[in-house]
Amino acid sequence: MKLMSILNERIQTLLQDSVAAKVLATADKQGIPHIVSDPTITVNDEGQIIYLELIETSRSNVNLVNSIWFKRKVAIHLSKGEESYQIKGYPAYSVICGPVFEHYYKLSLERNPEFDLSTVWIIEPDEIMDDTYAARKNKERDVHPLITHLDRLAK
Amino acid sequence: MDKYNDVSPFVIIKSDVTRRSFIYTDRALGALDKSKHQYQQRVLIGSNRDKNAAVPVSLLLRDGTSIIGMPSKTAKNPYVVDQIDGKLVLTDQGEIVEEVHYWYKPDYYDKFTSSGTPMWQVASSRPQRLDIDPNSHCHFWNKGNGCKFCNINANSTQSEKECNMSKQLTAQDVYETVKEALKQPGAFTNLKMSSGSILSGAEIFDDEVDMYIEMLQAAGDNFKDKKFPSTIVASAFSEKQLAKLYENTGLMTYTSDIEIPNEALFAWICKGKHEEVGYAEWKRRIIRAVDIFGAGNVSSGIVGGCEMAQPHGFTNEDDALKAVLEEAEDFASQGVSVVHCVWVPMHGSAFHNQQNPSLEYYVRLAKGLSDLRKKYLLNVDMDNYRKCGNHPDTDLDRGNLD
Ligand code: SF4
Repeated sequence: MKLMSILNERIQTLLQDSVAAKVLATADKQGIPHIVSDPTITVNDEGQIIYLELIETSRSNVNLVNSIWFKRKVAIHLSKGEESYQIKGYPAYSVICGPVFEHYYKLSLERNPEFDLSTVWIIEPDEIMDDTYAARKNKERDVHPLITHLDRLAK
Repeated sequence: MDKYNDVSPFVIIKSDVTRRSFIYTDRALGALDKSKHQYQQRVLIGSNRDKNAAVPVSLLLRDGTSIIGMPSKTAKNPYVVDQIDGKLVLTDQGEIVEEVHYWYKPDYYDKFTSSGTPMWQVASSRPQRLDIDPNSHCHFWNKGNGCKFCNINANSTQSEKECNMSKQLTAQDVYETVKEALKQPGAFTNLKMSSGSILSGAEIFDDEVDMYIEMLQAAGDNFKDKKFPSTIVASAFSEKQLAKLYENTGLMTYTSDIEIPNEALFAWICKGKHEEVGYAEWKRRIIRAVDIFGAGNVSSGIVGGCEMAQPHGFTNEDDALKAVLEEAEDFASQGVSVVHCVWVPMHGSAFHNQQNPSLEYYVRLAKGLSDLRKKYLLNVDMDNYRKCGNHPDTDLDRGNLD
């Protein structure tokens, strides 16, 4: 059973779908962006996003450390077929030991015996956007009706 | 602390909680689960356990930063660990500061070696480090010249009396405990050994070196390769002793603590070390260890703030910090990381009545030492946040990319 989360049932299902595309975007101290594509990004029973960092010294991991320290958001892009979402949230826990860490450590080993898990990142979602073209364009039309090409409005 | 908004707030909290100490509410102690959490451990300096109650051995913050310490009943202005709305939190003057977690107990903890020794008395567990301290007696105290901030012999004597914890470990117990610990996937990233100084032998410390060789070989018998991520925090060994250690064991990194990076204060506070070896020679030996272990694989610990102990210490924080960082830079420029802990004037130490410096001092010290590593391109993988967890400065390094 899922607990209170801003992620609706559909998004949580997509996050658990290993075929869905999932991308994590972080930024460094200077604001330079960095992205990784990782289909294993998932959701836990509390409706928080789980990102498994396999490389302790990776750019993503260091950016996540700075994000949890200085309360900076990260973004996750999630898509499958026509569906597309962008979730922004705060890294809330950097789990490096204990039962939760060991659970994911073993799971990573099952996926690939070479994987040596560094950190379980738990990201608290804070905003969700429907990221499909139709949703974004409709929103723009509502708020900015002047932005369009006239040929589209011709008789 | 607003002006230090580029320093991890978790590290600032850790430094302040350590310097001011903390206590637990009954509610918080009620949240300790003896089947899951650590409430007793073998440590050299500090306290192995509370003999009257099950008390968590240390704390973990949300970002994986550890706060290492036992609560103090005599602290004048302690933080309070409480349980509020089902979460364990650190509070200061009634305000919630941050969520905390108790350290988990590894699987081997409640098991026994074939000789009947409880394994928790052989190896303690920092979040991701296996700590084995084969000898909890320091010879410097035999002549009354132990380091003034240290309570090693008082602590080990008390533990021997209260729970029959032996001051010396056997190689077989070490072998069996490491074997058991390695059965837990993902639990450890490093093995550390430490000991009180052993001055005996043909050359000073020869017996200490032989003890480490025996114990490291016993631990090492559990690994596929000869070398494995490991460190010792030991006396300052000669080049000959270091070479012998390196060649005969799986040891990959080495620490010897200069403690107080100032010759005059070292002579006063670490009298035994100064009389037997001397500040200059202790320092020279640490730096020479880089030839064997490589730059970044040798570190030296300092008891941050102890340079302000009175009556001989610095009386001005700026002067103290300048002196410490200048000496730390001399080490760093020669491949040695200087790492600090927060000086806690501990019960059982000669300095138990002293006062440690301000929080700002510790923030500047942590940042200063971390910045030196950046300047001299030293990584601190041997002693990072998830291994030792006792150094605010090395906690900061994880926010930088090499
Ligand atoms: S050398 Fe000093 S700090 Fe180390 S155990 Fe002996 S008295 Fe304590």
